[in-house]
Amino acid sequence: MRVSKIAAALLGLAAGVFALSSCTHSSACVSGQNEQKTTAKAAKDRKPAPEFTLTDASGQYIKLSDYRGKVVLLNFWATWCGPCALEIPWFEQFEQQYKSKGFEVVGISMDEDGWKAVKPYIAEHKVNYRVLLGNDSVAALYGGVDSLPTTFIIDREGRIAFTPHIGLADKNEYLNEIQTLLGVEDRGCQDESGHHTAAALFLRPAK
Amino acid sequence: MSLVITLLPLFSFAQQNKLAVRPPTPLTIKRGTTAVENLTVEVLPGFHVNSDHPRDEYVIPLKLTWQDGPLATKSISFPKPEEIQVGNDRLLVFTGTFDIRSEFAAPAAAPPGPATMRGRLRYQACSNQMCFRPASIEITLPVIIE
Repeated sequence: MRVSKIAAALLGLAAGVFALSSCTHSSACVSGQNEQKTTAKAAKDRKPAPEFTLTDASGQYIKLSDYRGKVVLLNFWATWCGPCALEIPWFEQFEQQYKSKGFEVVGISMDEDGWKAVKPYIAEHKVNYRVLLGNDSVAALYGGVDSLPTTFIIDREGRIAFTPHIGLADKNEYLNEIQTLLGVEDRGCQDESGHHTAAALFLRPAK
Repeated sequence: MSLVITLLPLFSFAQQNKLAVRPPTPLTIKRGTTAVENLTVEVLPGFHVNSDHPRDEYVIPLKLTWQDGPLATKSISFPKPEEIQVGNDRLLVFTGTFDIRSEFAAPAAAPPGPATMRGRLRYQACSNQMCFRPASIEITLPVIIE
């Protein structure tokens, strides 16, 4: 009886170690506690991301089609949006890590006060990716964008590859989607720097 | 176009107002005196609006303005805000139901009878997960000058 109990305990321990090991290397835990994996839409189901032309902070006209051939994280945000501010450091990290692999973050600010509000903000937060000034016309092309942040992941052919993220998302969901489209290694529960990135680390509920 | 149609249901909830102002009770005021009107504001459960004096310079404050009318606006005061934590930031916000106090003065020479004051409440609402673009509510305050 005692031997069988010990054997059962060892078996349970082994199963736990295996589960932990597989978690850090598989995509089953990319969303941290939720353990859900986003799946790319089949190519035939992907809709073209609506084309637009907007200006960046230097006044240069930028078209979405300028990014054809790259994976793009298109993020609608605003300086007054707290959840947006939580995501910006993630996007800065993604830009730094994956730019050389054909990835770019494009931020579209929906600030009514325009560059007067946006320029100091991006300087203060050392935003390392391109930010464009949005307007209602472009927002309408993307469904209205009444709530921020709203983020689209666009494939190299300029198509929306995943269900849009409306509201604060999980960093690992973004990572998983970007890595899927870039065809790079899936780091599972950890980001590229090896740090665990469950959303719970970033979001504390309002009292 | 099909993308827009696909996305519309996702945004229909977002377009609803997250804040409402109860119809104000008519204000009776004697010429040459002052009177107070409390405007009752309701924020939907799960949402907050920024206070009138938020800590973060980028945040859009709650702001009530009254147009020039038969009464002079002497002061507008808000309740004490709540402090909540979003990420690393501690924000000053309003939630639930609260009153905004406006003090009006009726000039001694104001014509007696019914009149109207018109105001505008600008707000910017968020939940823990998302924020909504700034919006305004127009307010009509019935006034009786005696």
